[in-house]
Amino acid sequence: MLTDPHSLFQLTGPLAILGWLALVFAPLAPRLVDAVAALAIPALLSVAYTALILVNWSDAPGGFDSLANVMALFTHPAVALAGWVHYLAFDLFVGAWITRTARAERINHLLILPCLVLTFLFGPAGFLAFTALRAAFAARARMTEVPA
Amino acid sequence: MTLSLAATRSPAPDLRRMASDAPAFTILAILLALGLIPLYAAMALDIRVFQGESPWMKPVKFHYALGVYTITLAFFARYLPEGTRNGRTWRWFTAAVVFAIVAEVVWLSAAAMQNTASHFNTEVPLFAAVYPLMGAFATLLTSASLVMGILIWRNPATGLPPAVQLSVALGLILTFALTLPVAGYLSGNGTHFVGTSTQELWVMGWSRDAGDLRVAHFLATHALHFVPVAGLAAVWLVPAQAMRVVWVAAGLFAALVIFTFVQALQGRPFLPFLG
Repeated sequence: MLTDPHSLFQLTGPLAILGWLALVFAPLAPRLVDAVAALAIPALLSVAYTALILVNWSDAPGGFDSLANVMALFTHPAVALAGWVHYLAFDLFVGAWITRTARAERINHLLILPCLVLTFLFGPAGFLAFTALRAAFAARARMTEVPA
Repeated sequence: MTLSLAATRSPAPDLRRMASDAPAFTILAILLALGLIPLYAAMALDIRVFQGESPWMKPVKFHYALGVYTITLAFFARYLPEGTRNGRTWRWFTAAVVFAIVAEVVWLSAAAMQNTASHFNTEVPLFAAVYPLMGAFATLLTSASLVMGILIWRNPATGLPPAVQLSVALGLILTFALTLPVAGYLSGNGTHFVGTSTQELWVMGWSRDAGDLRVAHFLATHALHFVPVAGLAAVWLVPAQAMRVVWVAAGLFAALVIFTFVQALQGRPFLPFLG
C-alpha cells in the first residue's frame, strides 16, 4: 500500500494536522509540543520525503532550471507527493518555530493563532504575518523603554 | 581445573570511551545506523527489483557492515598508543578512512536510486568510471584495520593480558590480510557467484546452489571479531596456554576463510544443509 503515492498521500495529511493541533494547544505543554511539532513529525515526514526522492528521482521528468521543467517534475505522482510532503514538513517546522519564538518573546499565544492558520494554509504568508507581528512588538518595546 | 574466572576477570570496558578515543569513527558508525531509516523507508516504497531483490538491499547491508566495522575500530582505538591516537597523522588517516566509507555508501545508494549495479557495473558510463576508484577507497578503508593491528601489536602499554593483546592485533591484521585478496578477486570476478545461483540463504543471501564468494569476504572481514573473542576465551579457560591458543585460533580462522574461498571458486555452496 505504501508503494502507491495516492494511499501514502492519505497518511501524510492527518500526520501534519496532528502537529498543527498540538501547536494550537502549545501553552498547555510547551516542551512536549515542541518535541512533537518541531522534531518528531517533521522528521517522520522528512523520512518519507527522502525515501520518495531516493526511489523516484532517477525517472522523474523535468528539472529545476525552468518553470516548464518544474511543472514537468510535478506531473510524476510520486515526485509531486514528495513536493507536497516537503510543504507539510517545512510549514509545520516553521509553525513550531513561530510558537517557540512567540513564547520566548512574550507574544500572546492567541495573537499567533492567525499566523499559524496562515502558515498552515499558505506557508510563507504566515511567516510574513508573524514577522510583522514580531516587528510591531519590538517597536512597541523600544517606544516604551525607559531611557537610562 | 584451570577455570579461574574470578582471578583473570578485569572490569568491563567502558563503551563511552569510544567517543573520545575515536570520535570520527564513533560519529560515522552512528550516522551509518541512522542512515538505515531512510533506506528501509525507500525499500518499503520501492516496487523496483534489481537482480531478484529490492535495489535498497545492498546499501542496507553495507550500512550494517560498515557500521559494525567502524564501531569496532572505535572500540579498539583505546589500545593504540596514546601519543598516536592524539597525533595529527592518526587524525588525518581516520579522516581519509571516514571519507572513503562515506564515498562508498553514497555510491551504493546512488546506484540503488538508478536501480543499477554499483559493483561490477560496466554498462552505465559514470558508474563504470567510478568502480575502480571505489576499489581504491575500499582498500583504504580496510587498511585501517592493518594500521591499527600493527600499532596495537607494538604498543607496550595496552593494559591487556598479552594473549588478548595478541588476539586483537592478529584479528585486525587478518581482517586486512584476508579481505584484500578475497575482495580483490571478487571485484574482478564480475559477479558474486561461481555458477548459477537460484536459491539463497535467509538474511545473508548466500547462494544455496552455486559458489558464493561473499562467504569468504564476510568471514575475512570478521577476523577482527572472531580472533579477539578466541583470545578472551583462551585467557579465561586456558590461561597457561593462552598465547598458543590465540595463534592456533588465528591459523584455523585463516584456514576457514581459505576453505570457503576455494569452495566458492569450485562453484560449491557454503554449508548447503543450512537451507
